[in-house]
Amino acid sequence: MASTTSLSKAEKSYIQAGLLANPPTRGDGRSAQDFRTISLQTSVAPLANGSARVSIGRDPHDGSGGTEVLAATKLEVESVDLGSGSGGVNGGRVMCSVTCSPAAYPHLSSAALDDLQYDLTTILNSTLTHPSLHPKNLTILPGKKSWLLNLDLVVLVDSGNVFDALFLAARAALWDTKVPRTRSVEYKARKAGGGGEGGEKGDMEVDEEVVSGFDTRQIRHATDFELPDYWDEGEELDGRDRWPVCVTLNLVPPAHFLDATLEEEAAIPLRLLLMFSFDSDEPHIQGMRTMGNGELTVPQLGELLKEGEKYARQIWQSLNAKLKEEELGRIKERNKF
Amino acid sequence: MVQSISTLKCASRIEILNEGGFRSDGRRQYELRSIEIDLSQQGHADGSAVLTHGLTQVLVSVFGPREAKMRSQTIHDRANINVELSIAAFSAGDRRKRSRGDKRILEFAAAIKSTFEPVIQTSLYPRSQIDIFVQVIQQDGGFLQACINATTIALMSAGIPMIDFICAVSGGVHSTSPLLDLTLLEENDVPNLTVAVMPKTRKVSLVTMETRLHVDRFEEIFKLATEAGQVIHGEMKAAILKWSKGLVKSMGHGNQDRDGGEVDEVGFD
Amino acid sequence: MDIDDYEDFDSSGSRLTCPGESLTSSQAYMRGHGTYVDSEEVIASVAGTIERVNKLVTVRAIRSRYNPEVGDLVVGRITEVQPRRWKVDAHSRQDAVLMLSSVNLPGGVQRRKLESDELQMRGFFEEGDLLVAEVQAFFSDGAMSLHTRSLKYGKLRNGQLVAVPPILVRRLKSHFLTLPCGVDLILGLNGYIWVSKHVKASEQEGEEGFDAEAVYSNVNDEIDEATRTAISRVTHVIRVLTSHFIPLTDTLLLEAYEWTVEQETNVRDLFQQDFGDALVASITVGR
Repeated sequence: MASTTSLSKAEKSYIQAGLLANPPTRGDGRSAQDFRTISLQTSVAPLANGSARVSIGRDPHDGSGGTEVLAATKLEVESVDLGSGSGGVNGGRVMCSVTCSPAAYPHLSSAALDDLQYDLTTILNSTLTHPSLHPKNLTILPGKKSWLLNLDLVVLVDSGNVFDALFLAARAALWDTKVPRTRSVEYKARKAGGGGEGGEKGDMEVDEEVVSGFDTRQIRHATDFELPDYWDEGEELDGRDRWPVCVTLNLVPPAHFLDATLEEEAAIPLRLLLMFSFDSDEPHIQGMRTMGNGELTVPQLGELLKEGEKYARQIWQSLNAKLKEEELGRIKERNKF
Repeated sequence: MVQSISTLKCASRIEILNEGGFRSDGRRQYELRSIEIDLSQQGHADGSAVLTHGLTQVLVSVFGPREAKMRSQTIHDRANINVELSIAAFSAGDRRKRSRGDKRILEFAAAIKSTFEPVIQTSLYPRSQIDIFVQVIQQDGGFLQACINATTIALMSAGIPMIDFICAVSGGVHSTSPLLDLTLLEENDVPNLTVAVMPKTRKVSLVTMETRLHVDRFEEIFKLATEAGQVIHGEMKAAILKWSKGLVKSMGHGNQDRDGGEVDEVGFD
Repeated sequence: MDIDDYEDFDSSGSRLTCPGESLTSSQAYMRGHGTYVDSEEVIASVAGTIERVNKLVTVRAIRSRYNPEVGDLVVGRITEVQPRRWKVDAHSRQDAVLMLSSVNLPGGVQRRKLESDELQMRGFFEEGDLLVAEVQAFFSDGAMSLHTRSLKYGKLRNGQLVAVPPILVRRLKSHFLTLPCGVDLILGLNGYIWVSKHVKASEQEGEEGFDAEAVYSNVNDEIDEATRTAISRVTHVIRVLTSHFIPLTDTLLLEAYEWTVEQETNVRDLFQQDFGDALVASITVGR
């Protein structure tokens, strides 16, 4: 994003001329739509509720280069009571934040790094915390307790195309997230005639039969909750199919290309970020943003949206296939025991 | 979270050291956690290492010596060492987001810097800068220990001259029993310290302790930690030599390699 | 503890060491780079290979920033324009310096006017420009002083840069290579390699012997698809070789390039790890 890569005029025009040629040629021989090798793993952070590690274009032999992002979700209990001072909202909330390792941007000053973090956070946060994507299973006790879902992303290395990587990691970590199952618990004061029993037995627990922890019709007087099964992983985050993917279209009008390297990003003036969600196969644009200097006409934008949707769908399908594969692998591991 | 009464009895305090001499993770008193050292390149760094002690994992990237970013930071007769520490919000059991300016983080970064300043031969690089970027990915105790050890390896992989390794280990005392290489659970429960040693001279480069420990106990655990540093040295040295060997072999096209040639293969015990 | 105790130690063997290890007695040997002396012992300070030349012991680090020497050919990037000089990033411990007096000025007229120096300077090199130069000397703090006072040197165009670990660029007779596919290579000893379209030597000189317009131009020539593909292919070959930590020489690069052409693969396939491994295996056979 921040053009910290310095290129000479000759290098820039070499890159641009290559992309504008017919057929377009890129410095590493890829075609305009080719992505570098993407590798993804989920459940990489055992202390988190969900996590993923994504790398794009990392050299398979010595591990150098590539764009690498780590993402993890952590669920915290929040009080919904307005008086308690906590930010809890009925129905739970989602917060997203991006940090950049200084190792990812070795030429940026501290202040510039902070600015970059802020910008990345804003983009991720505004897209992913949109009400249309809000998971429905973040309530613990309606009106009293809910889950705060923190999604934290760390950019470890940036070799171009950091936005696509961030959204891939976010979607994968959210997909991987398990919400602990809770069971509400109600307390009834002991009736008179047993006063000397001692403090620990003063309250009698009445367990409500629970079908689903979110079926709030059953428990009207629930005052607290417990985790019924310590070892249970929990259930999937609701709406995990909805989280969007991002495709960055780098523009050299009239051409465009995907998955830019750092040099390519420094050479092209304008790019377009498109966040697509394909929940139940219908495409939804969850976000859109232009970056850099340049102009786009409305018809051009229309064209790019069409193309973008195609690319996003491909990314979506590959990602889903990989996520399912990861999940299956883990279930097999667990069932071994 | 409230436990139902029936389960209250089971939620007793986890024993730090049980009668059989085993700790909560199954280790014995002086047993160190498994160490993993990964020297594969990370991004565009000049040197890097990922070091894991049990469940504590730290990634260190080193850049330099290189031109100082800010002229105000240059020193005319030696290199300036800059340490920046980031702790991933999801690294510990409780999520905690710490900004780069967090006092605690700055304190740790300063400790790491002062540990390495006497060991790196900075006078060879006047006006240059050496950047050490520490990224904590996962924490389960032994935070500073892992940061220091990973930094040592990363500096070596960057070819930055040092007079010796720096090997760090944490230790604590549970009632009268000393323990080495503490997990988070243990750190929260027993008085503990971190010791960093230079194995060749056995000189101590850093000691930090933020708890209260009886003077008699201190000496004992201090000695033990220093010994443990030697063991860690063995592991680190083996990792570095293995990495060097691999690269040297490649540089020779894998030809005519007289494998008996590695004089400093360590047999550590 | 004497080096001669080790049976098969000689200057071509790869003896590995790491910081803190005693190498030999400082009475018998002089210490070189990568070592230091303490209580009459020569001790290693880097992780690398021990090299002994007569009575000098050095340890060469496996990986490190570029260690310049006078006469080295380097490829660098302008980072700053200062009065009468440029600062150049050459991937070394400090930025190098290129003095205005060390570059070729058109027509032989020396620019003496101070007020126009700064403006004139960006007409030659500006921030971001890539150039090839030679190390002329060192400043007292160790920074390199470069010069481009040869027609071979100067601003780079018509291609792209690849950065590799400096230790993998061997000292060769000539660092200007031409591959048969119409690609020129400039192997900077600092690890920066310029891969570009081949330019015939006769085209480099202008009619009057020096054409400033051409030499300091930022405009690329027309480059056809075949050449671009060749440039990409060569770039890839370099990356595969260096990620396997194989030193670059002209013969090796040529062989590797020809192998990929024989395979008739797309450049994209070079991304695959097994392809890279096969390439490396084929050229290291019988070496």
